[in-house]
Amino acid sequence: MSAREFIRSEVDHEKFKEELEAGTEKLRELDLIRSLGYETNDGKLNGLPFALKDAICSKDDPTYAGSKILEGYKPPFDSTVARRIKEKGGAIFAKTHQDEFGFGTASITCAFGTPKNPWDEERCCGGSSGGAAGLTAALDLPHISLGESTGGSISEPAAFSGVVGLTPTYGVVSRYGLINFANSLDKIGPMARNVGDVALGLEVISGKDKKDQTTVESEGNYTEVLNKDISGMKIGLPKQYFDIAEEGVSEAVMEAVDVMEDLGAEVKKVELEMTEAALPTYYIIAPSEASTNLAKYCGMRYGMEEEPEGDFRKYFSKIRGEGFGEEAKRRVMLGTYTRMAGYRDKYYLKALKVRRKIINDFKKAFKEVDVLAAPTAPMVAPKIKEVKKMDPVELYKLDKLTAPVNLAGMPQLNVPCGFHNDMPVGLHLLGDHFDEKKILKAGHSYEKKRGELDYPEV
Amino acid sequence: MSEEIKIGLETHLQLLTDSKLFCGCPTTGEDNPNSRVCPTCLGMPGARPRLNKRAVEMGIKVALALGCETPEEMNFSRKTYFYPDMPKNFQITQFSVPVGKNGEVTMELDGKEKTVRIKRVHIEEDPGKTKHVGGAVTSSDYVLVDYNRSGIPLCEIVTEPDLKSPEEARAFLRKLADIFEYLEVYDSSDEGTIRSDANVSTGGERAEVKNITGFKDTEKALRYEIRRQENLKKRGREVERETRAYDDSSGTTKSLRTKEEEADYGYIFEPDLTKIEIRSDWKERLGEEIPELPHEKKKRYVKEHGLSKEMAAAICSDFDLAKCFEALAKEKDTKLVGNILSGPVKKVLNYNEIRFKESELNREKLRKVVEMVESDEITERNAEMIIRDIAVEDKDPEKVKEEKGFGKVTGDKLEGTVEEVVKANKEAVKDYKQGKDEALNHLVGQIMKKSGGNADPQDARKLLMERIEE
Repeated sequence: MSAREFIRSEVDHEKFKEELEAGTEKLRELDLIRSLGYETNDGKLNGLPFALKDAICSKDDPTYAGSKILEGYKPPFDSTVARRIKEKGGAIFAKTHQDEFGFGTASITCAFGTPKNPWDEERCCGGSSGGAAGLTAALDLPHISLGESTGGSISEPAAFSGVVGLTPTYGVVSRYGLINFANSLDKIGPMARNVGDVALGLEVISGKDKKDQTTVESEGNYTEVLNKDISGMKIGLPKQYFDIAEEGVSEAVMEAVDVMEDLGAEVKKVELEMTEAALPTYYIIAPSEASTNLAKYCGMRYGMEEEPEGDFRKYFSKIRGEGFGEEAKRRVMLGTYTRMAGYRDKYYLKALKVRRKIINDFKKAFKEVDVLAAPTAPMVAPKIKEVKKMDPVELYKLDKLTAPVNLAGMPQLNVPCGFHNDMPVGLHLLGDHFDEKKILKAGHSYEKKRGELDYPEV
Repeated sequence: MSEEIKIGLETHLQLLTDSKLFCGCPTTGEDNPNSRVCPTCLGMPGARPRLNKRAVEMGIKVALALGCETPEEMNFSRKTYFYPDMPKNFQITQFSVPVGKNGEVTMELDGKEKTVRIKRVHIEEDPGKTKHVGGAVTSSDYVLVDYNRSGIPLCEIVTEPDLKSPEEARAFLRKLADIFEYLEVYDSSDEGTIRSDANVSTGGERAEVKNITGFKDTEKALRYEIRRQENLKKRGREVERETRAYDDSSGTTKSLRTKEEEADYGYIFEPDLTKIEIRSDWKERLGEEIPELPHEKKKRYVKEHGLSKEMAAAICSDFDLAKCFEALAKEKDTKLVGNILSGPVKKVLNYNEIRFKESELNREKLRKVVEMVESDEITERNAEMIIRDIAVEDKDPEKVKEEKGFGKVTGDKLEGTVEEVVKANKEAVKDYKQGKDEALNHLVGQIMKKSGGNADPQDARKLLMERIEE
């Protein structure tokens, strides 16, 4: 494996540091990064720089998951992905802003700043890996960003910010050292300016890890499928997805589909009947798990701390009251309700059953086609001002097209595919479990044909 | 006590694994607070559990030994509640599919057999420990937390409310600990590692009494709680459905919360752990590893070795004592070995509240004691005195015998003593001849006194009767 082959140019560390320093002020102004560091390390990756979403632990580096309640926390250990990056000779150079614990679709719930979209500073970067997507759109230097997706938090910000984002099959990348949102849904994945770089990123971070029992053996060699012919590949277009998306978005995606057809792919319509059920299912399972994950934040052991007064219940409530943002509190309440005795059957357990049906819905489609192509998000990046006016349910709807595949734990790749209202539109390629190679191959073929994207000068 | 007493126990025993349930930290060793901890057992953000297979195997063995049904596939769940000794503020435990269901334990109490139904057996992690400084729970100045215990595997046994008295509850716990010890999954030497919550009802509502440690305190706590409930009823008041805590310093139970304040644990599946398949070949292998259990051993000792039920029970309630018995019974007179192990040895262990393996006794020392009795060097009474000494101090039984001047009085010497006593107690001899049996006991007592306790009372009685009949 050679970094040079896929990263646009060999990393010149002196230049990287210089230019990063020069551009840092702007990156901070855009609220894309929360902290910086850079230590090159020799090895195969020749110091390839990686930016980590704030929820991904790296030893002794401040890691807050976008939450005030974790302010000051420096994990005493590396996440498995950070360890792999370091061992293979990569360098971690930044922690990127995100929605608090991943709770958001526009990165407006981050306790440390709301990332602004490099294509239009009035607009959001998407979420929850908004800082990661925005940074990659803004930073014209070779690097890979790591995001994390629970219900679409890699694909959606990638689409809004015009970058490539890969969410691998659940279990392909270890979650050891990832600050949990909802463990049965969380997936770490690479984001970059091109498909080759995300394929390389996945090679670096994937693989079985005894510290995460849900991991599986990785296929490795994801870069081998690049530059391969896609003639004969069957691409399915889920009707429901195109109906949900705005017309301008659907049109841009259809143009990309036409390109792939020209490259020899066979295109056919498919039905995903469970599409409408996904969002409510997701917003039961994810908060149920999240509300238990957030229980540990109580002002003891790490993060925010105050002089305790009264008994522990009083103290815990005070810290949690002050440390969590509004959306975190909303999800704790929602998730506590859906798993309460008396409601557990009706919500939590039922949602698990519906999740099974959603998986079967996809499995049925993948009997007919190799990959699915659809719009990533129903719209282009909205204005931050507008987002702040939206009620929670409206905001949740931005996940409508990404929630189903995330519930299914299947891989998905966002590739920028044109513009609507001068903002990037994302082509979403979905694959069956462990079919990362198929979507990477399709995405890379399209990207090559599409040509280089003109990123805005930042 | 009332006929309507119903007691159900939820008992936690620590499983004897080398490392914790979800991480590699050792379960024993360094005692400095918070020295045996890691990101996982401290619940640091991002750290994850990975299941200790040994603990699961031990859990399966317990389930099988208690006659439980085991599932083909089981899982773990999160039980959420807030407490400073819980690093994650949720405990990873088993909820919907535990390792065992619907078993039973049969025990013997006052010569009668009693069966207690087991509702479920499950595996879970132990929380850390809190230490209240400067006062009791509510009045302390501050609290220290030690997470060394956090993540140690526990096996929880939940019974149906089949227990009828505090004594039965204690006997049940003893029996349970014996079974665990036989399975070699539990260290019985530390009573502190057996902790119970008890559901108690005396006819009306039930109260749950939490945090009872050890066998004796279980009996005490239950006795207090039953009295409390009966006193309420006497005064015409209802027993409330509530959770109470046992306070070992005062021996009383105090209300913790009422039914309305009852915690809702909001169980969800633990998403970081995959389902555990209990394949039939695995289960079979574990089943084969289960040794002969106490009640089976007891039956065999009665049948094969001719021990009385009581003797067999006394020996079988201590796994290492039973192992010692089996070894010595092969070489020596089984009855004699049984007498000594179930009598003086058991007595001295009970008196010192220790298990056989914690005492200074061992097979070699007891073999010597048995040999001395067998060869008439000492009496069984002497043997008891020697065992008392060598149980708590590492001493050679023969040296103790010499120190104490023990040496059995037999043969001519004993006959001489009998003669002396008969001559000196003519009145008593006359009384006996006239049918006063207690006179004989007096005479035997005199012989024992004269021989400095070194005569065998049975031998003395026999000789005495022969002499008087002459």
